[in-house]
Amino acid sequence: MPERRRISLRRLVTNGPALVGALLVLTAVACAFLAPFITAHDPVNAQLRLRLDPPTWDAASKAHYLLGADAVGRDVLTRIIYGARISLTVGLTATAISLAIGVVLGLLSGYFGGWLDSLIMRIADVQLSFPFILLALVVMAIFGGGLAKLVLVLGITGWVSYARLVRSQVLTVRELDYVQAARSLGASDLRIIVKHVLVNVISSIIVLSTLQVATNILLEAGLTFLGMGVDPSIPSWGGMLADGRNYITNAWWVATFPGFAIMFTVLGVNLLGDWLRDELDPQLRV
Amino acid sequence: MFKRLSLKVWVVALTASLLLVACGSGSNAPAPAPTKTDSAPATLEFKDTLVIGSQYGDPQGSWDPIDTFLLAWGEVACNIYDGLVDRGVDLKLKPGLATEWKFIDDKTIEFKLRQGVKFHNGEPFNADAVVFTFTRLLGPDGKTSPQLSNYTSIDKVVKVDDYTVRFMMKEMDPVIITKLAGYGAMIISPKYYQEKGDAFFNTNPVGTGPYKVTAYTKDSQVVLEANPDYWGDKAKTKKVIVRFIPEDATRVAEFQTGAIDIMQTVPVAQVKTLQADKNVKVLPVGGPTAWALRFDISKSPVDKLEVRQAIGYAIDSKTIIDTILSGNGKLISSFQGDGSFGNNPDLKPLEFNPAKAKELIDKAGAKGAKLDVFFSSKAVIQKEIAQAIASYLKDVGLEVVLNPVDPQQLSGTLITEGKAGHMYLFGWGGWTLDYDNTAYLLYSKGQKWDPYFNDAKVNELLTKERTSTDPKVREQAMKDLTVRLRETMPDVPLYQAVAVWATGAKVQGFVAPPDDRMRLAPVTVTK
Amino acid sequence: MVPYIIKRVLHGLMVLLAISLVVFFLLRLTGDPVMALLGQGNPTQEAVAAMQHALGLDQPLWRQLIKFLTDLATGNFGISFRNKQPVMPQLVERMPATMTLAFAGMAVSLLVAVPIGIQSAVRRGKAIDVLGRVFALIGISFPNFWLGIMLMLIFAVKLRWLPASGYQGFKYLILPAVTLGLILSSIITRLIRSAMLDVLRQQYVQTARAKGVAERTVIYRHAFRNALIPTVTFVGLQLGSLLGGTVILEQVFSWPGVGRLALDAISNRDFPMVQGAVLMLSTVMVAINLAVDLTYGFLDPRIKVGGKA
Repeated sequence: MPERRRISLRRLVTNGPALVGALLVLTAVACAFLAPFITAHDPVNAQLRLRLDPPTWDAASKAHYLLGADAVGRDVLTRIIYGARISLTVGLTATAISLAIGVVLGLLSGYFGGWLDSLIMRIADVQLSFPFILLALVVMAIFGGGLAKLVLVLGITGWVSYARLVRSQVLTVRELDYVQAARSLGASDLRIIVKHVLVNVISSIIVLSTLQVATNILLEAGLTFLGMGVDPSIPSWGGMLADGRNYITNAWWVATFPGFAIMFTVLGVNLLGDWLRDELDPQLRV
Repeated sequence: MFKRLSLKVWVVALTASLLLVACGSGSNAPAPAPTKTDSAPATLEFKDTLVIGSQYGDPQGSWDPIDTFLLAWGEVACNIYDGLVDRGVDLKLKPGLATEWKFIDDKTIEFKLRQGVKFHNGEPFNADAVVFTFTRLLGPDGKTSPQLSNYTSIDKVVKVDDYTVRFMMKEMDPVIITKLAGYGAMIISPKYYQEKGDAFFNTNPVGTGPYKVTAYTKDSQVVLEANPDYWGDKAKTKKVIVRFIPEDATRVAEFQTGAIDIMQTVPVAQVKTLQADKNVKVLPVGGPTAWALRFDISKSPVDKLEVRQAIGYAIDSKTIIDTILSGNGKLISSFQGDGSFGNNPDLKPLEFNPAKAKELIDKAGAKGAKLDVFFSSKAVIQKEIAQAIASYLKDVGLEVVLNPVDPQQLSGTLITEGKAGHMYLFGWGGWTLDYDNTAYLLYSKGQKWDPYFNDAKVNELLTKERTSTDPKVREQAMKDLTVRLRETMPDVPLYQAVAVWATGAKVQGFVAPPDDRMRLAPVTVTK
Repeated sequence: MVPYIIKRVLHGLMVLLAISLVVFFLLRLTGDPVMALLGQGNPTQEAVAAMQHALGLDQPLWRQLIKFLTDLATGNFGISFRNKQPVMPQLVERMPATMTLAFAGMAVSLLVAVPIGIQSAVRRGKAIDVLGRVFALIGISFPNFWLGIMLMLIFAVKLRWLPASGYQGFKYLILPAVTLGLILSSIITRLIRSAMLDVLRQQYVQTARAKGVAERTVIYRHAFRNALIPTVTFVGLQLGSLLGGTVILEQVFSWPGVGRLALDAISNRDFPMVQGAVLMLSTVMVAINLAVDLTYGFLDPRIKVGGKA
């Protein structure tokens, strides 16, 4: 029976990759919370005269923004800092929604089986077989664009991975001797689920969630690329990247730095996720 | 020591990945065009294939003239079909399949047809083809045609003899001759159409033009081949491939690698870079398309004239043109280009005056009002202009919510149903180059494009302009109209678009078309 | 086994029916497409009515639904609103492009992911593991359109090794397939790695080791086989996003697949075309998920395929 270990900060600090991951995530979170204190510039207002002004080290730079200005003359760095708010919110909120729906449905489906399982899995099949991008575009065509709706669409459509993963793990775990034993000893269903099954799938869920946070940040970019209707003045990293692609060859800073922001954040989330997984799964510790 | 090693590896790998990105993006100079290093040939040899990169997705799967209203269709199809009247790349009308025409009376026009012209399938062109074309458009087949509304002034077309037809008009239409150079009036081959059927015709069109369609893959490309029996100046390049590449970055990449000879719509940000390249010809051309910020005057607070005027004063169109458009645009005073009949050069473009705007807003008590602006989510320029406008309006005390939406949805349903917010960015093709087409559809009472605007004097001027054959009367009426529209402000005219094309240095004979209709017959590419 | 397959196929059909109902009603919520189809001019009431009649939109909703479903039953997706031609042949014509891209992408990803994933797990913490993980992370750190444009700039514009876009042969497939494959492979690499780690500590693997079974055999026969279960589940799940990825990459690489057709159709409100495209892609996914479910039985005898749960 797997024993649970408490997450220890001391072990985090001594684990190189995990520390890097934690620092990256912390930086992004700090940007999100402290944005107005870190930068004095306006992330939204256009300054057309500074359109595509190069980064400060470039001789042609007029405004001397550290990372240059975007297509309507806003400071790219400021937008990246404020963008942490938007992108983290999009990534985390959508993932949380998916996670909540998916885990609950997956546990119910896998543990109880029967008609409930059939029903949930059929809904999952429908969800899964509906091409996501097209669904998102049709939904946006009905209800209009906007970030909140986009988060909802991402969240509601993302649950299936969790449900299926949890369910397939449950199917395996359910057959294990100690679960059978607990059952025969008269442990209540809820207890069995929480105590045995959830503990066993948690590492997979963490891995999947870290992936999902990243995926959601990227999907927001992809949907913006397709013209999905997110207010372009809202500084989301994905939107900055999608809009900046038009300037890759002559104003590379517009898209490249938001690209780095996404990359480092995704990297951080994943490193941290890997470490958490190992921490929660003591048998893996050598 | 695993930990130390892994950190080092991380750093190395990260650096490598950054380099990957940097070398992909850091190139300021355009890559040189693919020059074969052979020295200049003694005699000019021409390539037999010309490749064009279109900015459009596709003409939506049909080459039938009456199925469409898309520029994606017109840019290619003007090489496949001819109309009775031809509008050249200089936008001047000249004889096409008709050699001459005259007004018998206000409602009857007689056309003499060109003799000895054959369709691509060998079928002869004659009065029957003209009658068939228009009977189809005005009859049951045309009922669902987006082209029909342009030609409703025609009652019927009758054959006088094999090479003479008469157009019998229901009502006077001052721009009918121009409209006969339009999409819906392209002449098709009656026998071929009737034998093969509509569906087949859609993808295997037959006309009388300098090129014929030999292969068409939707969303990918259309292949044209020179028509050896063309009645006019024959095509100089044997084969033309028009590729549909809507993604700007991809189209530019294809152009830089030399895979396409002519690129439609250079993204404004690339114009300077390409101009510096001596292997490239950059061809800007002012077209009839104009852009405006249009109001839905049924909504508060833009139902107040002061607020609309304030918004007009608050927006610095000149700076928008200089920066976002890199100078590829012209200031306008009314919602039409400078080549349009009815343009009023005496009316000055609206001045940029934020102080006055603030004053007007205070007067109207609209300070802090929240305004919804709708615009296309797919056009880079419109997205940027919308953001600029939001900032300008914020400067004078208005709050703006930006709503990017699908362009088809914007023009198809949102605007006509009055759901496009307080205002929206709106482009108008103005293809007839006559203000009548724009003004009537946009400002006359109860029109689809603006169900709410209604001004007695505007209606009166429009009627005056429509019912006269005297160009002087019409022009004066339309000039008066521009003044009246300035007073009533149903929209803020922003700019006249300048389209920028680019060709390789070896492309000869290509003139950038102001109406997107590429005249391909004279174009050659040297090897 | 056979009754189970029949049952699953029936389930699949039910899923498709549900999807067709969902898409049918969703589309009808997007508003009347007639104005968008009638162009710039000011259509007369008569023209609007004629158009509505021609498209069958003047019928009550339930009648439209019945017609839609009966047409479906005979494999007819209806007539495109935009070009007035049957939708089915147009979709069938575009399917090969999309499927080629999807399968090429999948092939690239497996080719990359399987060896890296296994080696990363087996040599956990060693250089190859770290490199593999970095690779996996880089791949999921960029949106696919961005990676596509980058690869295009490097390999088409700078190096001139490959054509930038188009659909004329194998050379044209490489960039889009690699873009798609790289992104997918980074996900699969992670998954195989963690699944392998899970399996490697299971008792039966330890037992096999203790019995002196060769390490290679332990890894490939015992461990990898079992690590494939979550992997296959996941790959099946990913096909949805894979086909979604093709929608975006078709746009980037001017690849004439179903995705581009569908995007245009959505913005044109070409209902039959959207319905057809969605159903076409859904059918592919239903088929693949069915295959995935059936594969479980072969991979893990502990899961009783068809057994009552």
